Amino acid sequence: MIFRELNNFGILGINNRVGRYILRHNKRENYPLVDNKVLTAQRAEAWGIAMPENYMIIENYGSLKNLQLKLQHYNSFVIKPANGSQGNGIIVIKEVIKEVVNGEIRIICRRSNDKLMEIDELKHHISGILSGLYSLSGQSDTAIIQAKIDKHPIFNDYSFGGIPDIRVIVFEGYPVMSMVRLPTRSSDGKANLHQGAIGAGLNMRDGSTNNAVIRNQVVNVHPDTGHKLAGLKVPFWQEILDLAAHCYDMVELGYLGVDIVLTPEHGPILLELNARPGLGIQIANLAGLVPRLEKIRLEAPKNVLAKERVEFSMKSF
Amino acid sequence: MRKTIFIITTLLIFAPMGMLLYKSQVLNLSLLPEMVDDVWNFHLTARPKGDKTNFSFPIPKPGPGIKISDERIRSKNFEVFIDSNSDSTLATWSAKEPIKQRVTYSARIDLKPLFYKNIPKDFTEVYPKGLSRYLKVPTLLPEDNAAIEHLEKAILEGSEDKTGVIRKIYYYVEEEIQRHTNIKTIHETLNTGKGSPLIKARLFNIMARRQKVPSRIVVMVRMPKKENAEHQKLSFTFANEVFLNNKWIPIDTNRGFFGERPDNFMVIHRNYEEVEKIISKKKVSYAIQAERARINRYNKAEFKKEVVKSDSIFSRFSLYRLPLPLQTMFTTILLIPVGTLVLSLARNIIGIPTFGIFTPILLTLFFKETSFGFGLLFFSVVVAIGIGQRYVLDKFYLLAVPRLSIILTLVIMLMIGYSLFSTDIAFVSQKHLAFFPIVIVTTNIERLSIMITEEGVFNTLKTLFGTLVISVLGYSLYSIHALEMFMFTNPELLFTIIGLLILIGKYKGYRLSEFLRFRDLVRQKKKLESASNDLP
Repeated sequence: MIFRELNNFGILGINNRVGRYILRHNKRENYPLVDNKVLTAQRAEAWGIAMPENYMIIENYGSLKNLQLKLQHYNSFVIKPANGSQGNGIIVIKEVIKEVVNGEIRIICRRSNDKLMEIDELKHHISGILSGLYSLSGQSDTAIIQAKIDKHPIFNDYSFGGIPDIRVIVFEGYPVMSMVRLPTRSSDGKANLHQGAIGAGLNMRDGSTNNAVIRNQVVNVHPDTGHKLAGLKVPFWQEILDLAAHCYDMVELGYLGVDIVLTPEHGPILLELNARPGLGIQIANLAGLVPRLEKIRLEAPKNVLAKERVEFSMKSF
Repeated sequence: MRKTIFIITTLLIFAPMGMLLYKSQVLNLSLLPEMVDDVWNFHLTARPKGDKTNFSFPIPKPGPGIKISDERIRSKNFEVFIDSNSDSTLATWSAKEPIKQRVTYSARIDLKPLFYKNIPKDFTEVYPKGLSRYLKVPTLLPEDNAAIEHLEKAILEGSEDKTGVIRKIYYYVEEEIQRHTNIKTIHETLNTGKGSPLIKARLFNIMARRQKVPSRIVVMVRMPKKENAEHQKLSFTFANEVFLNNKWIPIDTNRGFFGERPDNFMVIHRNYEEVEKIISKKKVSYAIQAERARINRYNKAEFKKEVVKSDSIFSRFSLYRLPLPLQTMFTTILLIPVGTLVLSLARNIIGIPTFGIFTPILLTLFFKETSFGFGLLFFSVVVAIGIGQRYVLDKFYLLAVPRLSIILTLVIMLMIGYSLFSTDIAFVSQKHLAFFPIVIVTTNIERLSIMITEEGVFNTLKTLFGTLVISVLGYSLYSIHALEMFMFTNPELLFTIIGLLILIGKYKGYRLSEFLRFRDLVRQKKKLESASNDLP
């Protein structure tokens, strides 16, 4: 059987993920809490979990009218669909250029890839989001204009363009596996593995990297900065795991992907949650998820505080 | 819970199978309508030579291995008499003026092979009066009679029953008389050991009758082979029938069949002696044609009768009770669940990516309703529109729904363009619903351009290719006519499909694609393991 080795290494396949973990442990009614980033933000605020500040929530085409006036107060921002997935439909504006023409203020936005965007293009993109172009189900959506997060200096040598983020898989409240996604030139500065970002597996013990891949191929150095990936150790590791474990209490999804970013000012904050986290994390870690998931299912104590769960995970994996 | 699922799935899968068994074993229904590949369209035209006001010609008569339907004898200027004695049918055309026109006869003829495996011994001495004409030995030259007597002594020695005698005569005529079309009298044949097919049949006939076995020469038409030209003219050929154990047994000394007649021979008359003059080329010119009836590959009408006759619960639920257009629709529709089975296998067990979930099925329907080549071409154009629109419409800053609607309208314009300029009018007029699937597919095409920008050209092409592969697989299902008919005849199999879908739905193992996806992981892991094993 050609699958014997996959089985021996305890690698989780899509069918197994859906059938045994997602369908059994994730209640459908809790999905909107993670699928809709507006709801996630509201819930997070109530639970005291830090997320990037939402400047504006655009629900209808009418509110696009005065967009220029509203946006001129900010120096940078991110536009994203509330129901997007895999980073689709996200535009990062790193600079807002204001100029006065005939006594009117006009703004031009510079994207993270240095392309310039007129306000009309921006409105077009947002109306695309509103009509559901990027939403999970193709239904009409809400656009979020959010504070742009700055890169934590520790990642300066390890990323190209955008902000790296840390993905933690949380099962029944226990952090199971983690990786950091490092943007590259070929991923267009996005922390998206499908587009060619680096996925670097992190040891649950201390947040140091154990292995790294680009598109399923092992890499040792960052292709754009040339920096060795082995020396990276993600700071605030305990806090990151605490935050991830806490998210389980917040949305009550047994099988959860938590995306966390490190800000220079506030440390780790929650970026978004995912009810169907991908399986690429296993390649990034050179490890299968199944043994860890089963260990938690069979051995981990139930109904314990996030702190204790994190302790269990750090010791076990 | 697991037990419940198991029971339900088992029931769903096997209950319809049980029904199939019940239908075939208890009710004796066939599970598929019969193939009607051996049905022929038969045409005969004939004209008497000379000035005659009436003439006769043999026409086929139903009997063992031959069924006749749709018989047509054109009789505008003639009166037609059908004289059907117990063995054969003669049609007689008559008019007031001498017949100068060709008369025509056509029919649909269903031929089945005849085969008598074991012909028991036969000791019959007395035959019914009606058979006496088949026992009359024609008068021959005295020397020929002597020659035959001599032969009989040599070959028939020690025979006890008539079946054995006939078999010996058959072997002699079949093997010892060489086929030679120029030798046309018994006398020559007895001297040279050669003979035309008719003479061989005659010789056999004489020898059988001399042994007091009723025997006759049958006039046959040999049907053309598939490869042969459609309008090949056919001629008469000859074989024998002997009366053994109260049955007429076919025997062909020219082609070597004993108790057997293949389904490419059609008997047109069963007593050559009676029609010898009538079919003589001196008296009549005739032409015979036959071609396979290709329409209606399965004999649904017959099957419907069979189902209704069985008077079981199945006859009440049979789709054969529906009006014909609905039947045609359901034949197509019933394969869709089979298609979803293929789709589920491809997506969940193999792991082939597709655009949208049911896009491949819709494409399959489109291919089926139009044709594969055209469907593929049209789909490519739709894909091109889907990609191209982004470059044009992007500059207009349109909202998504109107933008999608524009693409849809473009595709419809494409169809109109095709329909107007296509010479294939039948295609357009008959398949008025053919384009609907592609219209629905269009709505998925918009995602294509987004996918290109977000996941790259390679991933998009992979998905596009996957979609096509599955739709081609689905399309190939439609080329299996037996499957189509099987589902239509036994729609209860839909439950089996649900059962199988549950099985696929419960599959938690790896997908084949994951074997590739995690291949590097496995390789690295193994390297690490062997490295740690190498350390002391």
